[in-house]
Amino acid sequence: MSKAYLRFWGVRGSYSAPFDTHLGVGGNTSCVEIRVDDHIVLCDAGTGIIPFGNEVLKQAADQPKVKDLLIILTHYHWDHICGLPFFVPAFIPNWNITFFGPGHSKRDIEEHVSAQMRAPYFPVGTETWLANVRYLDPPKEQKMDWGPLSFSWRSVHHPGTTYGYRIKVRDKSVLYISDNECLFLDKSIRQKYGEFNAEEQALLTEMQREEYESEIKLIEGADILIHDAQYSLEDYHKKRGWGHSCYIDTVNTAIDAGVKQLYLYHHDPNYDDQVIAGIYEHCQSIIKERNSALECHIAREGMIVDLS
Amino acid sequence: MGSKKAIIVVVDDSPSMKTVFERGTENLEVELRLFQSAEDSWEYLERHQPALLFLNIKMPGRDGLTFLKDLRELPLHKDTRVVMISSKDYAQDRTVASALGALEFITKPTPIRAITEVVLKYLKADPV
Repeated sequence: MSKAYLRFWGVRGSYSAPFDTHLGVGGNTSCVEIRVDDHIVLCDAGTGIIPFGNEVLKQAADQPKVKDLLIILTHYHWDHICGLPFFVPAFIPNWNITFFGPGHSKRDIEEHVSAQMRAPYFPVGTETWLANVRYLDPPKEQKMDWGPLSFSWRSVHHPGTTYGYRIKVRDKSVLYISDNECLFLDKSIRQKYGEFNAEEQALLTEMQREEYESEIKLIEGADILIHDAQYSLEDYHKKRGWGHSCYIDTVNTAIDAGVKQLYLYHHDPNYDDQVIAGIYEHCQSIIKERNSALECHIAREGMIVDLS
Repeated sequence: MGSKKAIIVVVDDSPSMKTVFERGTENLEVELRLFQSAEDSWEYLERHQPALLFLNIKMPGRDGLTFLKDLRELPLHKDTRVVMISSKDYAQDRTVASALGALEFITKPTPIRAITEVVLKYLKADPV
């Protein structure tokens, strides 16, 4: 019987957290495998791609199609690409690795992927990769097919050009939005409202509505939403403008958009298992208070979600 | 014979920003051309260089920074005067915009007078 699932290989944001107090949730940075039979798409290439690479090597002997991998990158901050220098399949002939991510051309994407492996930052460059590596030019229509999977993307609110992906897996929509500062403009408007005249204030109210509708449109129809939930409210107040969401905004927006399952993702590396358990409990209370049917989970390393 | 109005192009998906631009330029001798996305503006911008181009960053379709890089590859837009206007008040966005030759980076929310001032600043410096 054919199989379809996603697996979390790395769930941390910013930097890896290999501390014994954190390992219930996991210490590796962003990487999610989406698989339909032997077709594999990897979302981001943080340190989580390293154990994925080691695992898929074992599978390749009797499943040769797994040697054909697509890696879609949300952006090029280190926590999303720093597993690549240690991604073993890239160094083996006859593997096919295709990259896509933000950029004006495939040359742009190649440049961004390769830069972290240049001297003096790493002893060997991507020219030592023996796999067949290619980079995809962005198509005008902003969507692509990969075997039985198809995906599209939109830019989201994070420093530099950053994508959120909508991936169609059979009849399910999986949204991978690892880094996104929800409702940033709304908060800017609240801070500065008094500086504007009455006419402008009316426009600002419209602008808040437009931003809210845009956030809803980004995630509506999601069967599974994997979304940035990096900060507690207290930390968000200190780190507003760092490009990440407070988990309260994430869960409320998911409820408003009618998302079915939410996976809180890109956990702050300072948060141990206990802190994240508290975040989970608070999210459950928000969902209950709002009388919502949203299923909310903490994304944990090794967790598998059935997509069949 | 009347003088030709300077053309200001705005690429921004926000309807409320359309009003901000209309109000900010209503007393100026300029012609405003508004597009809701990079894709919508492409046919026009392939053939015309505006006196000033305002670009939002986070939009449906190509984002403003990627679009600016596309535009800079066209000889027509090598030196086009560009002002970014975005809620993305991040240092990285400012750095990338500056490297692509954007003259200013205006953050949203934006007062109407900020639009008037920036248009006057660049059109007075080098009137069309």
